[in-house]
Amino acid sequence: MTDFKIHHRDGEGVSVIELKGYLDAHTAPDLETAFQKLLTEKKYNVVVNCRDLSYISSAGLGVFMAYVEDIRKNMGDIKLTNMSPKVYNVFDLLGFPILYEIYKDEQEAVSRFKQIKK
Amino acid sequence: MSRLKRIALLLIPAVFLPVVYTFDVVRVAVNFEIASLMVFRELFVIVSFTLIGLFIENRRNALSRNGPKEIGRVFFAVVISLLAVGMAMIFQPPEFYGRGTMNMYRSALFMFFSTLIALVLGAVSLYILFTIHDMILSKRRKSTWRYYLGYLVFLFAACGADLPFFHLEDTFLPPIFFSFAIVFIVVNSFKQNWIVYLSKREKIYSIVYSILIFIALTLLDVYLASGSGSNNAIISYSRPLHTFIRLNAFFGTIYFGVTFISTLFHLPTAEVFERKQSELNSLHNLSRLVTQVFDFNDLVNTVTQMTSEVCDARSVWMELFSIHAETGEMSVDVVSKKNITQQEIDLVGVDDGIQLRRYLLDSRKVLLIEDIWSDRRTKYLKEKGFARGSLLTIPLLSHGELIGVLHATKEYQNAFDQDDIDVMTTFADHVSIAIENSRLIAKSIERERLHQEIMVAQRMQKRLLPQRLPDIPSVEFAAVSESSFEVGGDYYDVINLPDERIGIVVGDVSGKGVSAAFYMAEVKGIVLSLSKICSTPRELLLRANDTLLESLEKNAFISAVYAVLDVPNASLSMARAGHCPVILISGDSSELVRSSGIGLGLTNSFQFAQVTEEREIKLKQGDMCIFYTDGITEARNEEMEEYGYERLVHVAGECRDCSAEVMKDKILQSVRTFIGQGAYTDDVTLVVVKWLGKSKE
Repeated sequence: MTDFKIHHRDGEGVSVIELKGYLDAHTAPDLETAFQKLLTEKKYNVVVNCRDLSYISSAGLGVFMAYVEDIRKNMGDIKLTNMSPKVYNVFDLLGFPILYEIYKDEQEAVSRFKQIKK
Repeated sequence: MSRLKRIALLLIPAVFLPVVYTFDVVRVAVNFEIASLMVFRELFVIVSFTLIGLFIENRRNALSRNGPKEIGRVFFAVVISLLAVGMAMIFQPPEFYGRGTMNMYRSALFMFFSTLIALVLGAVSLYILFTIHDMILSKRRKSTWRYYLGYLVFLFAACGADLPFFHLEDTFLPPIFFSFAIVFIVVNSFKQNWIVYLSKREKIYSIVYSILIFIALTLLDVYLASGSGSNNAIISYSRPLHTFIRLNAFFGTIYFGVTFISTLFHLPTAEVFERKQSELNSLHNLSRLVTQVFDFNDLVNTVTQMTSEVCDARSVWMELFSIHAETGEMSVDVVSKKNITQQEIDLVGVDDGIQLRRYLLDSRKVLLIEDIWSDRRTKYLKEKGFARGSLLTIPLLSHGELIGVLHATKEYQNAFDQDDIDVMTTFADHVSIAIENSRLIAKSIERERLHQEIMVAQRMQKRLLPQRLPDIPSVEFAAVSESSFEVGGDYYDVINLPDERIGIVVGDVSGKGVSAAFYMAEVKGIVLSLSKICSTPRELLLRANDTLLESLEKNAFISAVYAVLDVPNASLSMARAGHCPVILISGDSSELVRSSGIGLGLTNSFQFAQVTEEREIKLKQGDMCIFYTDGITEARNEEMEEYGYERLVHVAGECRDCSAEVMKDKILQSVRTFIGQGAYTDDVTLVVVKWLGKSKE
C-alpha cells in the first residue's frame, strides 16, 4: 500500500538523502538502514530533502531521533529541507523545529554546513 | 441363515431320498415302471441335491476364505469320495445291475450302495464346483463371469439332456452339450488370479494340494468313465447326477492341474512379489505415520524397523544432524537403532569415521559400501572390530539440506541391490517429510502461543484504560480507544483529583504494537502518580518528560496532552507535549487550542520547560473540549487522502449542541465513513468533555 523510496547522493562533504512517499512504521527500517550506512561511512553532515515526502508517522520521526545524537556527537547534524506544509505540520506539532534545523530548500541547508566548516 | 433353515435344507433330502430309495427297491423288485412316476423320481433327486448344494454352500461360507485352506478342504473331500468309491468297489456285489434279476433283499442292498455313493460323490462334486466358483471369480474381470456362466449352462444342459423322460440318449445332443462343457472347463481353468496374491508358503501348500487333488480326481475321472459296477450303479441311480459328478470332477481335475502348473511357475517370483507387497504395506503404514508428527519417535523407530525387515538388514540406525545456532558446530543424534550398539555406531562416527561423514555431507548422495573391510572409505573399521559385510547409507534431505542419514548393514559383501536403495530412499524421504512437518507444526504452535500471549496483552491493555468515567453533575464525559493492531500505543485516562478537579490525559506512543503498548503502560503509571503530586498540567508534563527521558529508547517518544478540569472554578488548564491540538467548541466558535510544546522523551528538561506552555480556558455552559490522537486526523481513505483537521473541526462544529456521547459517536462515524472499506491504520482515541455548567446551588 505505502510506497517509500530513499535516494542518496553525496555532495562536497554533505550527504543528501531524498525521501519520497510514505514514511511510517513499515518503511522506517529503510531510512534506518540509510542512516546506519552514513554512520559507518563516517558521513555526519546530512541533509534530508523532504520534497517528495507525502507522509511521516511517529515511527518515521523516531528514526531521526535515533541517529541525531550519534551524528551530533561527531560534530555533524541532520538538517531537514523542502517540507510540504502537511509534513511540516507533523514536525511542528511534535516540537521538532526546536530540535532540528529546517530549511526551505536544500541549497540553504548545504551552504549552512559549508559555513560552519569555514 | 438360521439353524432352523439349515435343518430344513437337510430335512427335505432326508425325506425325499429314502422315498426315492423305497420306490427304487419296489420298482426293481416288481420290475414295473410307470413313466409319470419316473418323472417324479427324477424331480425328487434334483430337488434333494439342489438343497444339499445349498446346505454345502452355506456351510462353506462359514469357513475361512483362504486359497490354500480351500484347496486343502477340496483335497479332503476328494479323498472321502475316493474312499467311498473304494468301499463301494469292495463291498458291492460285482454283478452288473440288471432289471428284474434280483430278489427284494439284493435289490434293497444294491440300491442302498447306489444311493450312498451317489450321495457322497454328488456332495463332493458340488463342493468342488463351489470352491472353483470362488477361485475363478476372485479378482474377476467382466469376461470371467461370462465364461463361468457358459460352463454352468452346458453343465446343466448336459445333465438335462440325460433326463430319461426326454429320451435324448440316442441323439447327438448329450455329447455336444458335454463337449461344450469340457471346452468351457478348459477356458475357465485359466482363471487362476488368486495364486498371485499367495505368500510363498501358501504357494507351496497350493502346489502340494493341487497335485494331490489332480491325481485323486484323475482316478475319480477314470472310475466315472469305467464300466465298474458301482459306477453303473450311479448311472442307474440318476444319469443326470452322474453327468453332473463327471463334469465337475473333470473340471476339478483340469482346474487344479492348471493350478499346480501355474503355482509352480509363480513360485520363483513369489519372493519378489512378497517383498514388493511388504514394501507397499510398509509405505502405506509410513504415509500414515508421517501425518502423525507428534509421534516422531514412533516414526523413526518404525522406519528403522521396516528398513530392517524389508531390506533384510543386519543392523539399521538413523542419525539426525543439527547445527548449533551459535557455535555452528554440527551435532549428531542417533534417533533410532536396531541390532547395533552405540559403541559400534561411534566406531563409524569418530576418528576416521569423520571422513565418512564428511563425504556424506559433501556429496549428499547415497553411499554404498559393498565390502566394509576392503572399501578405502571404511577400511579403518576392520581394525576396530566392526563386522564385515556391506553398508548402505541414505541421506535425509530437506530443502536440499542434509538433515540426517539412514544407515543399514548386511552380513555379506555386495548384499544390497537397487531395490534396497530404492526402498530405503523412499523411507528416508518420508522421514524428511515428517521432520519438515514437525518443524512446521512446532512453528505454527509457537505462532499460536504468541497469538495467545498477544490476546492476553490486549486484555491487559484494555484494563489499563478507564473502566468507568467519572459521573458528576456538571460535566459529561465520553471516550473511546480502538487499536489498529492487537495492542496499541494510544492512551487516555480521566482521573479524579482532590478539590473537585479532574485530570484528563490523552497520549500517543511513537511506533506501534508491543513496544508501544509497554510504553503506554509506563505512561499510565507515571501520569497517575504525578497527577496526585503536581498542581499544574505543565508541571506534570515536565516531570513526566524527566522520567521518560531516562527510560525511553532513543527513537521512541510520546505525544500527550494533559488537562485539569477545575469544577469549582469552571476552568480548564492544559499543557500540550507535542500532541494534536485540542478542539474547543464554545458558543458559535470552534478552535484548535495549540499551545507551544514538544513531545515527551525528545529533549532535556531545560529545553522542554522552555518550550512547554500552559493554557487556561474559562468554561461557559455548553462548551466542549475534544481530545484525540492522530489516528483520527491521519486516517486515510482509499485514495490515500487524509481525514485532516478541517473535517474534524467541521464535524465537531456541526454537533456543538449534542451530548458528549453523541459527539463521540458522530466523529467516529464520520471517520469510518471517510476511510470507507479500509481499516484504521493507526490507533484511534477520542475523549469528549462537555461542560454543563455548575449545578445550581
